[in-house]
Amino acid sequence: MYLKTRKLTELALLTAVALIIFVVELQIPNPFPIPGVKLGLANIVTVYAVYHYRAGEVLLIVVVRILLGSFFSGSIMTMMYSMAGGLLCLIGMLLLKRLLSEKYIWVCSVIGAVLHNIGQIAVACFVAGRGMLLYLPFLLVSGCLAGAFTGVCAQLLIKRRLSRQTDRDKSGQ
Amino acid sequence: MRKIWPFMLVGAVLLLGIAGSALVLQRPDTNIVEIVQDGNVLHRLNLAETEDQIIEVEYDGRINTIEISDHRIHMLEAECPDKTCVGMGWLDSAAPIVCLPNHLVIQFSDSDALDAAAG
Ligand SMILES: [Zn+2]
Repeated sequence: MYLKTRKLTELALLTAVALIIFVVELQIPNPFPIPGVKLGLANIVTVYAVYHYRAGEVLLIVVVRILLGSFFSGSIMTMMYSMAGGLLCLIGMLLLKRLLSEKYIWVCSVIGAVLHNIGQIAVACFVAGRGMLLYLPFLLVSGCLAGAFTGVCAQLLIKRRLSRQTDRDKSGQ
Repeated sequence: MRKIWPFMLVGAVLLLGIAGSALVLQRPDTNIVEIVQDGNVLHRLNLAETEDQIIEVEYDGRINTIEISDHRIHMLEAECPDKTCVGMGWLDSAAPIVCLPNHLVIQFSDSDALDAAAG
């Protein structure tokens, strides 16, 4: 019982952090005249969770964050974009995690970000036609850059957590 | 043991993106421009022959104002939340001007002729 409650609390906390990051990022206007370009900072939480929690648990974090996030962005369409991008990104990262150790978490994050953008383009094609495919190259580049950034952030977080854990272990002895 | 393929994978995606972007940024070899909403071509114009004008397109009560001036076309104003479409400036590459919230696209046409369906 203790374990279950603890796990639930952790998942809720991660979801809340992801949601806050997501909502704060919504307030930042896109400086590029290209739809869909963004840092995707909430991905820091997702990629971290991919390496520390089970697939179903990460799915829960992502879906709840997107559903609650769409309340704040106030549009069903935004939710469609986020959902398509978020789920494709998650599937890709869960697969990559099997091949790559945590040392390569930034690679996982880059591929996740690129897949996220591909998912969004797919929805945009439904909305505005095939012409949106022409934005794919820009979004590949922006996905690489943004994904590398969020990946490095996640790596720093993990390093910090590890060093604090070893500190605690030392003092416990 | 250091793996190489993850770096090559990321490098390949990045290169593909850069090469693709360079291609998309070129101006297509046509003057025919389409204004498309929800997949329907509302206007088809030959920029070489257009006079300066303002075209208004409505979606769900929101107006997009398109300006054609000096044989160029751009989104002058838009009643959409993000204004990305206005920020895209004049249409001068294969990448279309899009207003996703209003389902509106301004793009160079694939087919060259000004067909009979043109408005
Ligand atoms: Zn717009």
